[in-house]
Amino acid sequence: MHVEYQKPRWSDKFLLLDMLEGLKTTLRELFKPKVTIRYPEERMEPANRFRGMFKFSFDRCIACKLCALACPIDIIYIDVHDEQREIDGKMKKLKVLDRYDIDVKRCMFCALCEEACPTKPKSIWLTTKTYELASYDRKDLYFNMQQLEYWEGRPEYAGLPADEPEPKQIEGGMP
Amino acid sequence: MPEPLMRYLIWPLVKFLVAFLIVQVIVAAMNYIERRLLGLMQARLGPNRVGNEVFEKITPRSLHRFIPGGLLQIIADPIKFILKEDIVPSSSEKVAYFLGPMLPLIPAFLVFCLIPYGPPPTFVVTHVNVGLLLILALTSTGVYGIILGGWASNNKYSLMGGLRSAAQMVSYEVPFGLSIVGVLMLCGSFDLVRIINYQADHIWNLFPQLIAAFIFLVAMNAENNRTPFDLPEAESELVAGYHTEYSAMKFAFFMLAEYSSMIVNCCLMVSLFFGGWTLAINGYGLTTGVLRGWGLAGGILGAVIFISKVMLFMLMYIWFRATFPRFRFDQLMDLGWKWMIPLALANIAVTAVVVLLGLQFNFQGEVVLSIAGAAIIAFTLFLLLRPRAKVIHARRVSEA
Repeated sequence: MHVEYQKPRWSDKFLLLDMLEGLKTTLRELFKPKVTIRYPEERMEPANRFRGMFKFSFDRCIACKLCALACPIDIIYIDVHDEQREIDGKMKKLKVLDRYDIDVKRCMFCALCEEACPTKPKSIWLTTKTYELASYDRKDLYFNMQQLEYWEGRPEYAGLPADEPEPKQIEGGMP
Repeated sequence: MPEPLMRYLIWPLVKFLVAFLIVQVIVAAMNYIERRLLGLMQARLGPNRVGNEVFEKITPRSLHRFIPGGLLQIIADPIKFILKEDIVPSSSEKVAYFLGPMLPLIPAFLVFCLIPYGPPPTFVVTHVNVGLLLILALTSTGVYGIILGGWASNNKYSLMGGLRSAAQMVSYEVPFGLSIVGVLMLCGSFDLVRIINYQADHIWNLFPQLIAAFIFLVAMNAENNRTPFDLPEAESELVAGYHTEYSAMKFAFFMLAEYSSMIVNCCLMVSLFFGGWTLAINGYGLTTGVLRGWGLAGGILGAVIFISKVMLFMLMYIWFRATFPRFRFDQLMDLGWKWMIPLALANIAVTAVVVLLGLQFNFQGEVVLSIAGAAIIAFTLFLLLRPRAKVIHARRVSEA
């Protein structure tokens, strides 16, 4: 492809007009408002379909364990026991959820558990707007079902429990 | 105390120390101002955190939005330099390695005795009648430290940086010196005070010596290794050039020398082409006589005018850095030897002819030159600021 440029005039060349034009551009840029957000003081609201931290609903869950089966790294721990209960005058066998824990520190947020969930609406879903998941302690990132359901904001650092012994050092260097 | 001792030793020393301190504060502040302004010109914010909490505690709430963020960066940076580990490469040439950062400091600091900051005699440290020559001689020795540091580091990038710096500074010393000759012909003196007084009585040398001022501006950018002439420290090719192996205070010394010589060059620019501490045309306005008539207040006003003019030129350095991309090395040499030196020589010839003709036929040569310079400035501004349709830069003619 042949491209012909507009020939610069002698005045443009000798008076360095394009350089002055460049200076004009940077000067204009200096006074433009900037889009930077000063993070801890100002926070961005994520988009509506943003995928963030888990949320769990005890009422919707039917304890089918499909999410735990779907999880590729097996970090969903579910314990269930059967119970006989009277509903509408009949005795019915029910599954009752004892434990629903997620080890979020190992989670890769693939959302396969959400896909596998058979209830409508889903009883485990990731479309919350919380993205500040960092924590000072590994223990803060292991959530049980109460925490998963009623969780607000980011986890606060609670400090190490006083009565717990220090974790043992593995002797002999590399395992 | 005997009178000569006071007059020739104590007072100059006190004046020098005051001027030196002010200049060093400016140098420290320039670091912050440069980072901040560069950031703003590049669509980001720059350092805006350090010290915000302190200022929010000690000032009333209504003032908060007028305080720029990150002001204590000015103090934080030197503290960081002092506390960092001072690494000496084991294979370096020890003596030269230590001399490297110190040598450029000495001329850069010494020059501050020779610059007139305000109306004499109070605001001039030493009144030397060949002050301009001395300043030129001192500033041109700054290159030795850079070469020495680059060579002693025993690092190929440092050596390349030092060599480039030597070649560049030597080539641009020539147009730097030649551009001043025109001013000397008009003013007839090497004395900076007399040059400034001449400008107050006639007109800023910018107008009769427009081309010289332009060459001086380009050459002073090149002398200080500032963008677009920062090839000695071109980070994309040479890591950091001559100061690659320097850390902590030694690195800070290089920076200090660089910024000090930037200020020196800005002072020269202001004294030679922008009327120094005066604000006057043809003897009307704030001339030296008027300022001296007001005593100490007038002197301080003159110094404030001088320093604000200098600061404007320091901001210009930053503006250039944000705007222009770096030259290739052969382009740099082309510009220096093929364009700047012939242009400077032509400027000298034209100035000489006009001044001589003026003497012969009894008209004022600098008036003719000023009109020409003002016409060029006006024409450029007209071309730059005129409203015009969007230019289409490339037009496709045919498919090959």
